[in-house]
Amino acid sequence: MSADPPLLELRNVDVVFNGVIQVLRGASLTVPAGAVVALLGANGAGKTTALRAVSGLLATEQGRVTAGHIGYAGADITNADPCAIVARGLVQVLDGRRVLAHLSVAQNLRAGAHFRRDFDEPAELARVLGYFPALERLMRRTAGYLSGGEMQMLLVGRALMARPRLMLLDEPSMGLAPRIAQELFATIRRINRAEGMAILLVEQNAAAALEICDHGYVMETGRVVLHGDRAALLANEDMRAFYLGLSLTQARRSYREVKHYKRRKRWLG
Amino acid sequence: MIELAQTTIGGVLTGLVYGLVALSFVVIYRAARIVNVAQGQLVLVGAFLLWTAASALGLPLWLAVPAALAGTGLLGVVLERLVFRPLVGQSGFTIVLATIALLVLLQGLVQLLWGAETRPFPAVLPSGSLHLGPFRLNRTLLLGGVLTVLLTEVLHWFFLHTREGLRLAAVAEDHFTALSMGISVRRATTIAWLLGGALACLAAMVLLSGRLLGASAAGIGFVALPVALLGGLESVRGAALAGVIVGVGEALASAYLDPLTNGAMSPIFPFALMVIVLLIRPQGLFGWRVIERL
Ligand SMILES: Nc1ncnc2c1ncn2[C@@H]1O[C@H](COP(=O)(O)OP(=O)(O)OP(=O)(O)O)[C@@H](O)[C@H]1O
Ligand SMILES: [Mg+2]
Repeated sequence: MSADPPLLELRNVDVVFNGVIQVLRGASLTVPAGAVVALLGANGAGKTTALRAVSGLLATEQGRVTAGHIGYAGADITNADPCAIVARGLVQVLDGRRVLAHLSVAQNLRAGAHFRRDFDEPAELARVLGYFPALERLMRRTAGYLSGGEMQMLLVGRALMARPRLMLLDEPSMGLAPRIAQELFATIRRINRAEGMAILLVEQNAAAALEICDHGYVMETGRVVLHGDRAALLANEDMRAFYLGLSLTQARRSYREVKHYKRRKRWLG
Repeated sequence: MIELAQTTIGGVLTGLVYGLVALSFVVIYRAARIVNVAQGQLVLVGAFLLWTAASALGLPLWLAVPAALAGTGLLGVVLERLVFRPLVGQSGFTIVLATIALLVLLQGLVQLLWGAETRPFPAVLPSGSLHLGPFRLNRTLLLGGVLTVLLTEVLHWFFLHTREGLRLAAVAEDHFTALSMGISVRRATTIAWLLGGALACLAAMVLLSGRLLGASAAGIGFVALPVALLGGLESVRGAALAGVIVGVGEALASAYLDPLTNGAMSPIFPFALMVIVLLIRPQGLFGWRVIERL
């Protein structure tokens, strides 16, 4: 372990919507520079909320970080303006395939770099196409007509155009065929290695996410209930039982039967 | 035959003025998702600002025209700040009511500041008619039409090929997505209102150049609204094209149907066409999707 401060740090973050609905409860996690960190958890655990807290997008949904601290690259970005956050090189790919549907693929990519001054457009486009060669013949296509897999490539490509230091990815594999999802994860890993770009990856597909991550966190009802490096998570019995559908002893067990899990939960909760 | 062609040409030129006002609707709608019913009043204010600068203060046109454009644009920005920004997140119905209130308010304000009498509007564009073979073309409208077509193409290009334009285009698609890309929705909205105001003022100049200016000039807003809906509220080129369709239809109705119907057909035409198109294609000819607001 190095002594460098992490690129991103959430410390005991609470998020409240509409002043009353508490969704994150003292969530803490860190993303070291250049690392891939997976954030896993059941539906409604608060993963998307955690990403939006980081990227400053809660305000549009009447949400706020009410306690705790979010630090990025040495600065406090708790409840900061999303435009300022993107300008610092922290870009989020939202869930739900939000391409700019009426613009072409090329225009979508250009829009991703809208704030960059020092900008060699052909070189940057070539760089993105290097990761996603399939986009090359689609450059003039209207983005709204792309397939799900193509859209997801475009979205990651659009975020890449901003040359981020940290990319937040919210369920990039949602609705993709297994093979396409696998390719996408491999490319994400390749981008991470080649660009030294850190990635915080939210996924339902825990097996695939664990395969490419360095560290992982598991959230439940707004708290982090488990975290560790890749090997530790893969070996963890609860992890295997609930998220990977595997078990050391027998076939699937129900949620309640797992002792480790309960014990850990008491411990951390 | 020549008469038919003459009527059509006249319709095209008038239609392009409608298109220009419709363009000002479109620019605002794209960024703010607001159908500003009071856009005609913005045209009116733009006209009076130019009259004030050129006729009352006696400024030369090269100074008065930019001043009026900027003034109307600024009015748009002020309206956005004071009226529409506080309403962000409110229902579409609330916002439409606000634009109707604004309509009445601006109408009253114009009367308060400039009085009720009509006055001659400065000749910003050359007047008279141009003879082209057997046809007569209104020089003012011809120039205005050329200007509208050029402006449409420039705006179309601007939205697709410039940094600022792509930002505005992203905001037009979806505010949340734009924000996630680090695009300031507020800034884009401000720019849109500035542009929308200036376009309204420009339309006033084309419409009124060398004619009489009175409160009735705001009426163009009511023809331009169906034009904008017909073209599709998001579409820059659609606005100009729909303007031409409505202008020609109106001119033909006026020439051939009005004599039979006590002049009832031509005023109805834009709205009748709009209703028919919206029934068949709710997003307009080139619009993006079902219209939620209005
Ligand atoms: N704007 C909001 N207002 C009120 N509650 C919200 C809001 N957004 C999210 N929530 C609630 O917060 C909880 C966590 O939601 P979140 O979207 O963060 O979950 P998630 O872990 O991303 O789930 P999924 O895997 O289904 O995407 C949910 O119970 C949800 O209902
Ligand atoms: Mg989610």
